[in-house]
Amino acid sequence: MTDPLISALKVAASGLSAQSTRLRVVAENMANAQSTGNTPGADPYTRKTITFSSTLDRPSGADLVRVSDIGTDDAPYTIEFDPSHPAADTNGYVKLPNVNMMVEMADMREANRSYEADLQVVKQARELITMTIDLLKGN
Amino acid sequence: MEGIHLFDLAERQARWLSVRQQTVASNIANANTPGFKASDVVPFADTLQKTQLTMVATNPSHLTDTPAGVATVELRRDQVQTESYSGNTVSLEQELVKAGDVNRDYSLNTSIVRAFHQMLLAALKE
Repeated sequence: MTDPLISALKVAASGLSAQSTRLRVVAENMANAQSTGNTPGADPYTRKTITFSSTLDRPSGADLVRVSDIGTDDAPYTIEFDPSHPAADTNGYVKLPNVNMMVEMADMREANRSYEADLQVVKQARELITMTIDLLKGN
Repeated sequence: MEGIHLFDLAERQARWLSVRQQTVASNIANANTPGFKASDVVPFADTLQKTQLTMVATNPSHLTDTPAGVATVELRRDQVQTESYSGNTVSLEQELVKAGDVNRDYSLNTSIVRAFHQMLLAALKE
């Protein structure tokens, strides 16, 4: 059995990496909020979604977190009338990505908060280890 | 010092605290995992009560019970207070409060061990 404090660090690290992947997905969505197709009537960028799942770390019995799936959002695209657009169909309508900036901002904030909480755990586990090591010195 | 079992007790509590820290860590890491249920360790007092004394074996043929048990620290499901739409029951605030508790107790624990250690040294020196 591994030391629980060390595996606390490991678990927090898995959280950090999962949340940063989530931030990457949010960044992709925001960057592509206006990306349309190139040919008339083509589909634009589709919003990506991310799902987490917990996995058991056998040696320590702790629940790690990992990215289980990066999927796509099947919400309908926004339709806009713009006949001069290269991606406009025969009726002059352009399909724009189904990205809602508000949702992305909220998602980003949540990822941010969770990342902070994970960092706090790392910091504290380190402190506990240091306290233990300090027992050995300076008497 | 044999009679007091202080270092033994302190070690056991430190172990319990680090398991708790690990549980808090995995709750926080899984704060956004759908269907994840928050867990916590059983209180230290309960863990301690389950530990029974072992009889001294003066002869190899004596039967002994399980070795003086740091009863393994058990986990239990946290009392569910809020469950989000995704079935997740982790409350970040609650977890951070727990982390604060662990930190305080651990600091107390190591301070006590250091104090006792200094007492022992005081008896040895001079």
